[in-house]
Amino acid sequence: MDLAKNKTTLLISGAILGLIAVILAATGNPGNMAFCIACFIRDSAGAVKLHTTATVQYFRPEIAGMLLGAFLIAVVTREYRSTAGSSPMTRFILGFIMMVGALVFLGCPLRMIIRMAAGDLNAYVGLVGFVAGIGTGIVALKRGFSLGRSHETTAAAGAVLPVAWTFLFILSLAVPALFALSESGPGSMHAPMILSLAGGIIFGIVAQRIRMCTIGGIRDLILTKNTDLFAILAGFFVIMLIGNLALGKFTLGFSGQPIAHAQHIWNFLGLYAVGFAGVLAGGCPLRQIILAGQGSSDAAVTFVGMFVGAAFCHNFGLASAAASAEAAGGPSMAGKVALIIAIAVTFVIGFMPKKK
Amino acid sequence: MRQKQLRLITTFHTTADALACEKACKAQGFSGRIIPVPRQLSAGCGLAWSCEPELEGEFAGFLKEHQVEFDEMAVILF
Repeated sequence: MDLAKNKTTLLISGAILGLIAVILAATGNPGNMAFCIACFIRDSAGAVKLHTTATVQYFRPEIAGMLLGAFLIAVVTREYRSTAGSSPMTRFILGFIMMVGALVFLGCPLRMIIRMAAGDLNAYVGLVGFVAGIGTGIVALKRGFSLGRSHETTAAAGAVLPVAWTFLFILSLAVPALFALSESGPGSMHAPMILSLAGGIIFGIVAQRIRMCTIGGIRDLILTKNTDLFAILAGFFVIMLIGNLALGKFTLGFSGQPIAHAQHIWNFLGLYAVGFAGVLAGGCPLRQIILAGQGSSDAAVTFVGMFVGAAFCHNFGLASAAASAEAAGGPSMAGKVALIIAIAVTFVIGFMPKKK
Repeated sequence: MRQKQLRLITTFHTTADALACEKACKAQGFSGRIIPVPRQLSAGCGLAWSCEPELEGEFAGFLKEHQVEFDEMAVILF
């Protein structure tokens, strides 16, 4: 079946992915988080003790599943292409910046949609920032920004991340004592392993076939008026909305939202950084995983940038705190400073004068 | 629904090249439009240029003249 045949099949594919997120949330993943790429990378960084925040440590099977699913389907459909060489260190920095922005907002763009579908108005503030960031990135592209082209490389190079990550995942099952595992907090909340893994694999396969990208959906809408990728996001949103309404988890408002804060300017700027850096890097955090799975070493380096960035965010206190009954939550002073610097660096990368 | 028709699709190594192509085409009045890369041509999510298939011979020269590097050209139903 061709999932990308037309807008209807794309919409249905987005809905299938939304259903996976609903099922994982209903069976244990944290509320309003369900399938957050940034959160899951952050939890995985904690599991291998790159950071020691006790509440966010779990080697998420979803990430391993997505990499594996994208890798396998790309091999089967002969779309696996091992490529590399497009400004790897700049991509590392852009991945790092995306993670700083995501952890100030408290979620990647996919979680933004999940939060929007649960009535979290803070996510709509984030959406405005996200679109503004994408718009800024498009201006940079129109001014000639480029990370340079990638080149075909040895077939094995593109498989390094999917294989290495699968090995780590198997190790986390075989020798769990080697890994950290949260006993409380978001890291302790998870769907059964086999369900998470299966969900991740299906997500990876479908997302690879339909080229799902939260940034691409909005970028294409602005640049080409094409709604193909946007239809996927719409399908994802609608099914999440239905799921939340059916499960009684829809609460409209700024306050009382799970793992969120209502610091509007920082919600805006957090996803502004993700949108801006993501356009320059050629895709959102989710898309980077899929591209890495289908053989892009450049996307793999961006992924590693996000992985290391997540660890930095927690080791240096840059990640925001969720609002609670006692505190308003939001980013620390260090988090605010880091995000401003991250945005400034993205401007330097995107608008640096080109050599003639 | 839009009727699919034969189009000459040009893909690029970078998004910047695709946008440079669009800029040159608009400035010179070359027909066509920027589109997301068709799925049957690439597993990427970049941009491509779509124009009439009859322009196949002439378009490569046009891009070369404007120093825009492209990846491949293909005539497909789009």
